[in-house]
Amino acid sequence: MSLDELDPVIHTPARLRIMVTLAALRDGDDLSFTGLQDLTELTPGNLITHLRKLEEAGYVATQKNGSGVTARTSVALTDDGRKALENYTTVLRQLLDSASQPRIGS
Amino acid sequence: MNDGSGTDQGMNMNAADAAAIIADASARARHILRPDHRVTLLVWGLIWFVGDGLMWLAVRGQHPYHGPNPGGYAATVLLTVLVALASVSQARAESGVRGLSVLRRWTFFLSVLIGLGGAFAIEGALVRAGAARPAVGVFEAVAPIAVIGLIYLARFAAEQDWAMAGLGLWLVIAAGAGAYAGPQNVWAVAALAVGPAFLVVSAIEQRLQRA
Repeated sequence: MSLDELDPVIHTPARLRIMVTLAALRDGDDLSFTGLQDLTELTPGNLITHLRKLEEAGYVATQKNGSGVTARTSVALTDDGRKALENYTTVLRQLLDSASQPRIGS
Repeated sequence: MNDGSGTDQGMNMNAADAAAIIADASARARHILRPDHRVTLLVWGLIWFVGDGLMWLAVRGQHPYHGPNPGGYAATVLLTVLVALASVSQARAESGVRGLSVLRRWTFFLSVLIGLGGAFAIEGALVRAGAARPAVGVFEAVAPIAVIGLIYLARFAAEQDWAMAGLGLWLVIAAGAGAYAGPQNVWAVAALAVGPAFLVVSAIEQRLQRA
């Protein structure tokens, strides 16, 4: 197994952090953009860029409510995003397991 | 943290790095985003223990029994619930979470307020109907316990939360049995049976989270 088998959309520090953070939400909940920014410690520009990539992949859904100073953007993981993260962690676990097993003949 | 302003330079991340990010982000998110029932239960347990304990100290030895001021007692209980509601809602709003779990919390507190409001309205009706003060005193001590117990049982029915089922059942039993202790000692029974029950459930939840 190699790192190439990991989903490239998720396999960056920032996007992995975003996905894991959103996965901690309970079903039916979403998180404000500022709340996500606080938890991931990304700059607004970085966060927007990474969210756009995740949204294009169908892994997150963003929703804007209100307008002007009261506008609130909320973010949530989609079902596809949750499945993709589960697949990612499964492959990652296999990679780590295979790396920790002693090789025959070595 | 600046990790490349949207570039994919994180592709250099190895499996161990990814695992460390998952562990860190998950722990951080759960700490901030998931409401900690243990603290809520701990606070409720202490409020109940101290509140009912003080009531017992105030009414014990009263001859004839005249109990606490009914209006003042009802106002204190409802105000306590409102303060708890405000503090919890503020904490949740600051975390940025919105959705079903917030709605569930609001409906829970609303159920508590409506239940307690109804119980105090019945108490008023009992007074108006000429019920003896000791009988009203027993009712005002156990009715809030029974209301909260029934709400926890309803929560169990909706969410299959067994810790809440145990707590709800215990509160209903404590209310029913405590009523037989009489208008003065019912407060002591309430303080000793209800307050520590919340603390026990809080400890159980802590153990379950560690497991």
